Amino acid sequence: MADSTFLDSTELVLNMGPQHPSTHGVLRVILKLDGERVRGTECVIGYLHRGLEKIGENRTYAMYVPYVDRADYVAAVSNGLGYCLAVEKLLSVEAPPRAQAVRVILTELTRISSHLLWLGTHCLDIGATTPLFYTFREREFIMNILEKYCGARLTTHAFRIGGLQYETYEGFEDECRKFCDWLPPKLAEYDLLLAGNRILVARMREVGVLNEDDCKAYGVTGPMLRASGVKWDLRKAQPYSGYEQYDFEIPTGELGDTYDRYRVRMEEMHQSARIIRQAVDRLPEGPIMAKVPKVIKPPVGEAYVSVEAPKGELGYYVVSDGSTQPYRVRIRPPSFVNLQALDRMARGALIADLVAIIGTIDIVLGEVDR
Amino acid sequence: MADQPKPEGKAPTAPTAPAAPKAPPQAPSTPWESELTRMLQERFGEQISEFTTQLGQQFLVAKPEAAIPILEYLKLEASFDYLVDVTAVDYPKRTERFDLVYVVYSFARNQRIRVKIRFPEGYRPATATGVHLTADWLEREVFDMFGIEFAGHPNMRRILMPEGWQGYPLRKDYSIIQQDEAWVRENLGIESAQ
Amino acid sequence: MRKFLRTVFLVDLLEGLGVTFRYQPTKNICTEQYPAERPKIAERYRGAPRLNNHPETGETLCIACNLCAVACPEALIVVGSERNEKTRRKELTTFTYDTSRCMFCGLCEDACPVDALELTQDFELASYTREGAIWDREMLEEGPKPNRYKY
Repeated sequence: MADSTFLDSTELVLNMGPQHPSTHGVLRVILKLDGERVRGTECVIGYLHRGLEKIGENRTYAMYVPYVDRADYVAAVSNGLGYCLAVEKLLSVEAPPRAQAVRVILTELTRISSHLLWLGTHCLDIGATTPLFYTFREREFIMNILEKYCGARLTTHAFRIGGLQYETYEGFEDECRKFCDWLPPKLAEYDLLLAGNRILVARMREVGVLNEDDCKAYGVTGPMLRASGVKWDLRKAQPYSGYEQYDFEIPTGELGDTYDRYRVRMEEMHQSARIIRQAVDRLPEGPIMAKVPKVIKPPVGEAYVSVEAPKGELGYYVVSDGSTQPYRVRIRPPSFVNLQALDRMARGALIADLVAIIGTIDIVLGEVDR
Repeated sequence: MADQPKPEGKAPTAPTAPAAPKAPPQAPSTPWESELTRMLQERFGEQISEFTTQLGQQFLVAKPEAAIPILEYLKLEASFDYLVDVTAVDYPKRTERFDLVYVVYSFARNQRIRVKIRFPEGYRPATATGVHLTADWLEREVFDMFGIEFAGHPNMRRILMPEGWQGYPLRKDYSIIQQDEAWVRENLGIESAQ
Repeated sequence: MRKFLRTVFLVDLLEGLGVTFRYQPTKNICTEQYPAERPKIAERYRGAPRLNNHPETGETLCIACNLCAVACPEALIVVGSERNEKTRRKELTTFTYDTSRCMFCGLCEDACPVDALELTQDFELASYTREGAIWDREMLEEGPKPNRYKY
């Protein structure tokens, strides 16, 4: 008679360590496994903690803008937008219309760039190696525009408090229009390659389901919330920087699984191209910098401003004590809050599904750890 | 936009006494009155000390014990179902050293308000994880950075700093180049070069 | 029926393969053969710093006003100057710039009132030692001279 304890299964604790190609950075996930099924996860973060909030207390307001780019380094422009809007709120100034329009154009370009990177790396994790190269080729176009505009491809430091530093270069509008015309056929190609593919559908359907109540309970925002059926976008709900002038749709999903998030992000790229086209057509003339004093000393007070970053609601809580340096800068990172939902989504999934789930949350460790 | 009048700068009597520093201007703030504040006032009365609108953003300051009941009330009665952020600010010169800020948002009303509580060092506020699940990691980060322990939190451990780190980095008395030398020596095997 | 045929004959997978094979011809390749072909850098690119000289007289444009050092978030510029008694102005003696800590944000370039400090399009800044990344005035004026490999 076989010894029953020999055939018993015990729970295995496996470390999906900080050095792992699928964890999108230095994320450590401790898995409790029962065979191949995940029974529980625990995320250990902090490997990329650089003390950005502490640095904020030791730099002047204008000096801190380049640091803020390094939080979500994939979509650096939207970080800069959030921080500049927060300080402008404290100062009670508003950027002039031309600056707002250029800010919208660059932020939407960054949104497309971030979603393209997400697509490439997510499909790479699932096993499709080719989309990575295609999406990075598309991103080159965007990075060239950013490089010609502000001088850097990744950590752009594109905006300044009160407006913009650089006037748009000659040919900016033409290049943006060319990009907006060039992108939709490429996105259609990705759909041909990926959306109907039975392997991808099998790996993404019903994986990582998060319904609407769970999303709201965990504070999940961004494409994850929209894929669960909540039609909510900060650009429509609390518009900033002139978004109310542009006409665009909010894509939503139904089930809240990985495949819905894929569809939502693809559609968001189409909508971003639509916004860019409208903004470029209506680009107003005028100054690019508001009247902001040389030494920025906001009055004593605090402000919380949030923008719709590609990953979710990115918030900045800036407390000023009247001096040239902020008293406290708090970055509310969307990836940090979204990552909490990993445990909820991963229960009962296979390890292969776990990789897809980590990819679909779209985390950037620079933002999670700051 | 009316600024507060600045107080007089010069000391009146001694001619060589240095000028007292001018108080920095305050951001314009007005008291906040609305149906929501009336509901909250009715329910909580004394425990909320002020309702303010500053720069177009609303916040209320409450007594520390009242924070979780207020959050619960806001969630159940006023549909503020999304906890955006939990964060803290350190004012070492005040007796009530820490300022804990909860930012909540309501999808139905499309409104975002802040709930602030002030308490001295050593006080352990109640955890908000019973009301909003989001508060789990956010409170862990507040504990990690400021040393504010939350009573009743299921997993009160450091999240960003390594376990076993001594000191709370975002406090004002923790210098920006300070490091936990013992931890660095033990775990990394090098002398901390700061 | 159509769906059945699509499933059995792997039509969706073949469509995807069609997209991939369309990119096989050489003209669709977009890899840049660096270092044989240099990349096109934008004019505003924030690369290696350079201290400019006056085009005609060859003297330095820098007036030693220290604005770049004040603007730098990392405080890595050290401007040394001495007062010239004859012209009653400050003259530049030493200028140290630490590229190992620089984040190439461009705030120093924006702060310079006379366009003496400029971030150029050089991105090849490697050196064999840590001290080699701290540039003095001479290095700043001439720029880094990386090895150009011949093919």
